[in-house]
Amino acid sequence: MTLFFQTLVNGILVGGLYVTISIGFSLAFGVLDVVDFAVGEWVMLGAFAGVAVESWTNVDPFAALPVVFIVFAAAGALIAPLIHRVRRSRYARPALMALAFTFGLATLARGTMLTAVGFDPRTVHTRFATGTLSIAGLEIPWLRLAGFIFAMLATGLFMAFLYMTRTGLAVRATAQSQENAALMGVDVKRISTLVYSIYAGLTGMAGVLIGSIYAITAQDGPQYALLAFFVVVLGGLGSVAGVLVAGLILGVLQAMVTIYIGPSYTLAVVFGVLFATLLVSPRGILRRGAAV
Amino acid sequence: MSRTRLTQLLPVIAVVVFMISVPGWAGDYWTRILTGVCMWAGLAMAWNVLGGYGGYISFGHAAFFGIGAYATALLMQPERHWNFFLTLPVGVAAAAIVAAILGWPTLKLRGAYFAIATWALAEAIAQLATVASFTGGSSGLTIPVFQSTTWFFYAMLIAALIAYVICFVLLERSRFGYKIRAVRDNEPAARAVGIDTTRVKIQAFVLSAVIPAVFGGIFAYWITFMNPQSVLSADITDQMVVMALIGGLGTMWGPAIGAAALYILNRQFVAWFGDTTSYIALVGALVALVVLFLPDGLVSLWPGTRRLRLVRQLLPRPRSGRA
Repeated sequence: MTLFFQTLVNGILVGGLYVTISIGFSLAFGVLDVVDFAVGEWVMLGAFAGVAVESWTNVDPFAALPVVFIVFAAAGALIAPLIHRVRRSRYARPALMALAFTFGLATLARGTMLTAVGFDPRTVHTRFATGTLSIAGLEIPWLRLAGFIFAMLATGLFMAFLYMTRTGLAVRATAQSQENAALMGVDVKRISTLVYSIYAGLTGMAGVLIGSIYAITAQDGPQYALLAFFVVVLGGLGSVAGVLVAGLILGVLQAMVTIYIGPSYTLAVVFGVLFATLLVSPRGILRRGAAV
Repeated sequence: MSRTRLTQLLPVIAVVVFMISVPGWAGDYWTRILTGVCMWAGLAMAWNVLGGYGGYISFGHAAFFGIGAYATALLMQPERHWNFFLTLPVGVAAAAIVAAILGWPTLKLRGAYFAIATWALAEAIAQLATVASFTGGSSGLTIPVFQSTTWFFYAMLIAALIAYVICFVLLERSRFGYKIRAVRDNEPAARAVGIDTTRVKIQAFVLSAVIPAVFGGIFAYWITFMNPQSVLSADITDQMVVMALIGGLGTMWGPAIGAAALYILNRQFVAWFGDTTSYIALVGALVALVVLFLPDGLVSLWPGTRRLRLVRQLLPRPRSGRA
């Protein structure tokens, strides 16, 4: 029974990081009306940013998280107008071309990083969170707990922005309907850029945290992209509550399969569940998402 | 035969004659590269059936390539000892059945959801092949060696030619071609004029699944050793997508031109740098640039087609377009 609860806690702690990645991704999906295939590449680049901070400077990667956020947000702000332009272009099939465009960006990022650092796995080391915390017979690594707390803080701040500011209202309106938001005087292009850059910053930070828990290689991006898709599909497109639930479910599912069935089955089960969910309930498990 | 049809046929005849003559004058190295070009042209065309003509972007086509490769490899194991040519119909049948069964629910999804579902499906299949015992797991399968560069060149060439003729007849010279393009351009309207859209989409999915199965079978026999990484990896799907996209979606020449350009480039990168990581980066940049500036692909540079679009794209536009 201890093993079960230990697995559950481990799963929830990792699930918190998936929530951070997916919440920005889900919103960028809603506002830009494009599935960003580069989401996994942002995670991978974030992890390598942590490695770079650690090896080039004497600063602890966790202390550099705000800098990572700013750098990634700036990069996102440069890319977002291009995606917006392709999505709103007069091509025959703008949605598919935009999909192909983010796929191209993801491939570019992966190829560049593979050329630069090769296929070796790297880990981010931090001095802030070491050792384990023992509660009621459960061993909780401080590292994972710190990552979870940080992810929840970032997610909470982002939610506060969404639900307590006027700009946040504009973001939610744009995610619901670009046409109507534009008619109400929302500058859709600016909102898209803002959301995409916040999402890139959040995902880059989550990448540093993930890199400190798991070893990461330059070719791991697509795997994390599929995990983000899993959360957004399971949670339902555009549903913030759905993302919270689905992110935690993903973490727990992964941990349970790894312990009780075997690590080599984890991805097969996750992708199988994702495929089944899409077929059975494309609006997400809470049935709150937008119709497909 | 009118003069216009003759001028249209001439480039096709020239390319076919050129390809048939290749083993006669090219060395071993270039014959192998052109064998790969034939294979990738066929694979990109198969993807183009669904992606270019049907408007459904699949990110899981490597699954069908892998099904064909595993069918051939498993049946040619020493204890079964099947003839190579008998294994191909088995792979084709397996791919067709999988495509028909999985296509029916999957093709109800649209746009990005379809892309994600096919990707998840292909990854799940790749993971299962890695953990299953009958596939040899990650250590893979070995096939009795048969080495003849010329034989495999002609095998791939004939398979590619047959694939192109079938696709040409079905997509450009039959009602099916109009139906699938109607589905792509406006599915509700297609249904309104009486097209059974579900059936047409499944037919297109099956057609675009059986072609990779044939190439997978020949590929397995060619490389004699295979594992999930070499025949089921997402890289294979990515190559199909990128070749069709850069060549020109929804055209006959596009996938062939994209395949020839990119595969030769790929091999040259291996020759120059010893690996293909920088090739991956270059392909990514090319895809992004093609989407931004040349959305109809390399074929649109052909004289007399819409090549001016490149120029128009670069000029400032009078008003922002609505999709």
